[in-house]
Amino acid sequence: MPPTIELEGLEVQLGGRTILHGLTGVLKSRAIGLLGPNGAGKSTLINTLLGFHKPSKGSARVLGLDASANGKTLRELVGYMPENDSFIAKMSGVRFVRYMAEISGLPPDQAMERAHEAFVYVGLGEARYRPVGTYSLGMKQLAKLAQAIAHGPKVLILDEPTNGMDPPARKRLIELIREIREASDICLLLSSHLLRDVEETCDEVLILRNGKIASICNLVEERRANRKFLELETVGVEATFTGALETLGCECAIFGNGRIKVVMPDSVEIREVFKVAADRGVQIRRMNHRRDSLEDIFLNAMEQTGVADGRI
Amino acid sequence: MAVYKRKYNPYTGPLTATWPRFFVLTRYAFMDLFKSRFFVLLLILAIVPNLFFAGYIFIANNKTVQLLMQIRSAEFLSVETQYFIIIMMVQTNVAFLLNCWVGPVLISGDLTNGALPLFLSRPFSRADYVIGKLAVLGILLSAITWVPCLLLFGLQSGLARNGWIWSHLWMIVPIILCSAIWILMLSLISLAVSAWVKLRIVATGVIFISFFIPAGLGEMFNAIMGTYWGALLNFSYMFRIVLERGLRDPSRLLGLMGRHEIPVPAAWAVMICVCLFSLFILNARLRAREVVRG
Repeated sequence: MPPTIELEGLEVQLGGRTILHGLTGVLKSRAIGLLGPNGAGKSTLINTLLGFHKPSKGSARVLGLDASANGKTLRELVGYMPENDSFIAKMSGVRFVRYMAEISGLPPDQAMERAHEAFVYVGLGEARYRPVGTYSLGMKQLAKLAQAIAHGPKVLILDEPTNGMDPPARKRLIELIREIREASDICLLLSSHLLRDVEETCDEVLILRNGKIASICNLVEERRANRKFLELETVGVEATFTGALETLGCECAIFGNGRIKVVMPDSVEIREVFKVAADRGVQIRRMNHRRDSLEDIFLNAMEQTGVADGRI
Repeated sequence: MAVYKRKYNPYTGPLTATWPRFFVLTRYAFMDLFKSRFFVLLLILAIVPNLFFAGYIFIANNKTVQLLMQIRSAEFLSVETQYFIIIMMVQTNVAFLLNCWVGPVLISGDLTNGALPLFLSRPFSRADYVIGKLAVLGILLSAITWVPCLLLFGLQSGLARNGWIWSHLWMIVPIILCSAIWILMLSLISLAVSAWVKLRIVATGVIFISFFIPAGLGEMFNAIMGTYWGALLNFSYMFRIVLERGLRDPSRLLGLMGRHEIPVPAAWAVMICVCLFSLFILNARLRAREVVRG
């Protein structure tokens, strides 16, 4: 199977300004998160992948299809949920989704059936006959998701899907996205300002900054690599304690005031840390068994200068 | 993804052919139009004149009815080229009015809430979109211009006999061609206005203005410069020139055949230029994403 997204020196100019500066990278995971501060070029990248903007240099491929040369073929595979309001206010929800499904190529009867199914699936079954213009912001987001999945796309592109949603609605939407991802072989590209959304739904993250790739990070590998990462607050002689831990194969960093960070190899269990502490007369007052969160990865990427090499 | 299962399943069924998908837009637009009683009333009123035209043709070809109605002048009742020019003039003006009601809402509804990216993120181009919307006006205005005109032509051919059809068969081409350029021009102007103006009432006003203001400016130009070329800005007048010459009006029914007359190719060129300008506006407006320059 070809990589989900391949970027080769992708440069996009809009209104005489270069927005994306020679992006190069390969994203192979089925669920890709797109992160970056405002103006980083996330939406421009999505629009380029959809064929809305033509690259001035380089190329972008989705599932092996060039976004500008095979735009129409590519768009047959795509379900797109835009960031901004996108609906026909006077149409009822189900008719709107049916309309979009028919334009995607579903026969009218199939489109009608799928529209009902999609609406009930996203949790708007009761509101499907109401005009979309009367929906709340959260309902409009769900209606946009319904139209994006009704025709059964192979690639689902979601641009800020949880914008304007309250916490329960956000949670429900994230659950839906995860369900969709797990229930089929669909590929997901999710752009969001909310790191938690990306962390909960994606396997790989592309972080953009000023139109350049700040980092490409495989979250699955990162989680695995940081599985045994401890933060300790101790009272006692730190040096002898860390020395003893290092003899077990741990890597330690002392930050003063008894604060120690420990990376443990797979062979070492946490109780051995307690045992070493007891043997050395060190009190462990606090222990956080934590991994690098996406926030750390994101902040690291933002602090770096120059173009990243694709890894943190 | 059956409703009761509440589970996502990908779609594995058949897909329709790509090229006729623009017709989905046309179908949905017609469904929306026919929900409006006012539109249905307008459409009926637009068709009613044809019934009178048909009645006239029937009387003109029926001696018994003429005797019953005590009509003596056979000249008054002759159905010839001039009669079809009158039909065309009436129906194209009705088409203009209907177009002013239908056209303004076709695109503005999609643009108001940013639905265009949803269309264009599918295997559906901007050309497909414009053709789909154009087809709405094309079908509608055809149904009240050249289609009834040809039906009346057929009725006359059937009632007149004596080889009337063979001596008038050439009229079919100008009827269709003249209607086509008028419909195309009206439709494109309406779509261009609909792409810029969101409020129906304002858009309708803009369509009227786009016909009458240039015509007024043209007349001013003629009066000041002592020329007749200012008439190029009068689109209705250009259509009348094309229609009159196309139907070889011997009686100068439209009163256009003066010494200083705009040449027919110039009239065609003006109408084609208006169409191209409208397409240019549509091209600028119908974008999935707006790009701010600078």
